[in-house]
Amino acid sequence: MSLKPSSRDWQRAIADARQGLSAWHVWNLLAMTDIRQRYKRSRVGPFWITLSMAAFVGGIGLVYSTLFKQDIRTYLPYLAVNYVVWTLIQGIIMDATGVFSSSGVYLRQEAMPKTLFAMRLIMRNLIMFAHNIIIIPLVFLLFGVWPDWEMLLAIPGMIMLLVAAYPVVMLIGMISTRFRDTPVIIQNVLQIAFFLTPIMWKVDQLGAAAPFVVGLNPFAIFLRIVAEPMNGRAPSLWTWGVAILVIVLLYAITGPLFARLRARIVYWL
Amino acid sequence: MASIILENACVEFPIYNARGRSIRRNLMARVGGSVAADGDVVSVNALKNINLRLTNGDRLGLLGHNGAGKSTLLRVLSGAYEPSSGTAEIEGAVSSLLDITMGMDPEMSGAENIVLRGAIIGMTIPEARERIPEIAEFAEIGDFLDLPMRTYSSGMNLRLAFAISTAIRPDILLMDELISVGDAAFASKARQRVQELIASAGILVLASHDPKSLLEYCTRGIVMEHGQIVFDGPIEEAIVRHGMEVPEIKKEVPAATGA
Repeated sequence: MSLKPSSRDWQRAIADARQGLSAWHVWNLLAMTDIRQRYKRSRVGPFWITLSMAAFVGGIGLVYSTLFKQDIRTYLPYLAVNYVVWTLIQGIIMDATGVFSSSGVYLRQEAMPKTLFAMRLIMRNLIMFAHNIIIIPLVFLLFGVWPDWEMLLAIPGMIMLLVAAYPVVMLIGMISTRFRDTPVIIQNVLQIAFFLTPIMWKVDQLGAAAPFVVGLNPFAIFLRIVAEPMNGRAPSLWTWGVAILVIVLLYAITGPLFARLRARIVYWL
Repeated sequence: MASIILENACVEFPIYNARGRSIRRNLMARVGGSVAADGDVVSVNALKNINLRLTNGDRLGLLGHNGAGKSTLLRVLSGAYEPSSGTAEIEGAVSSLLDITMGMDPEMSGAENIVLRGAIIGMTIPEARERIPEIAEFAEIGDFLDLPMRTYSSGMNLRLAFAISTAIRPDILLMDELISVGDAAFASKARQRVQELIASAGILVLASHDPKSLLEYCTRGIVMEHGQIVFDGPIEEAIVRHGMEVPEIKKEVPAATGA
């Protein structure tokens, strides 16, 4: 089977992406339903997301500030920002493994655009992110951190993260639907990535190895492009450059692959 | 303007067994060499070389034994399955009443489900909200509208699913057996609604084992065997070809009006 998409494949893939984006009311509604359904019968509802985030950050913050001999007043806000952004990245990647297999009911009997389900997934994770980010101003207030103008750079960073998330979801979604071991592999990669990414530790603690572990690690790049401004530092040009390069690569790989395999996805469900 | 053109459409399902779906297996096959070269992927030919042209006004009955490919063909016609080889060009808004409860969530209320399903089958959200009372009334769910659907009786579930699924007027209507829901009173109401839907649809495709309903709603029939069309002609002949008797009924078909 050739992996080269025909012009017809391209047309249909582009139509799929266009219809997927324009059906924003559908993915928005599906995403809201996902969240509401998960916390339907609980009293606190979706704010469990916020509470469990606060518990994790508080607990880890106390232990690690002692372990790393860091001042908790700077360490805990640092950790809170990083972990909130990491949760978004991790959530998108982890959910991506089931993006099509969990939508089988729809895909098997309606001609719905496949990309719609990627949008739904990203939206759902954004809603979770919105719940998590509540703790950041609280933590800042508690430890007297005053936000800088650099913080505004988190907005373009966030946009780049989302632009990258779209092909990531499609790519991981397709591979995971075809090869059922992929979700487990991805889970393991994420676990390792959590420790290789400056979430709990600071880059300068790493010494000479820092450029390799942080500078070329795509997880670290996309984490820092959002988290650094929130911590009051502008990301380096290197970070921006690598982020753009990764985005270009992601689209260059996912585009043709999606065009070629889009119609096969339903057959693999 | 509704139209469906299938040319040499084939649907071939790869059946990957547990090993076939694993990356390890794939890597080993490439690295290791001769071990069972693609012996793992068995494929099922669900449809073979289907040629079919339908235009406005066509009322097509699908006949065939279980496993002959009727449901797969319906899914190709809905656009969900794109042929693995050959082409399928489908123009017009399709409504497939294959699984009317699709996408309904037992934890959500009836009203929420109306909006959810409504959005999926092509309504805007304000439009779906606006139609909640009308749909709920048709489904006769009364005060249960704002309760989670898991509290519904199975009859209420089906009535609501039916009321939502039939709330839009499609150009192309696909059905797997005529839907029958509810008690006698609701069944006659439902039947009337289905007749209206059929009358306003440009194209109807009905898969059924019941010669009476086929004769009542369809004019053309195809008989399928092992994923292939073995007969294509007037519905009466198709029924005979399928080995059934043509029942004596008077046709009260709402004439095809076209969309």
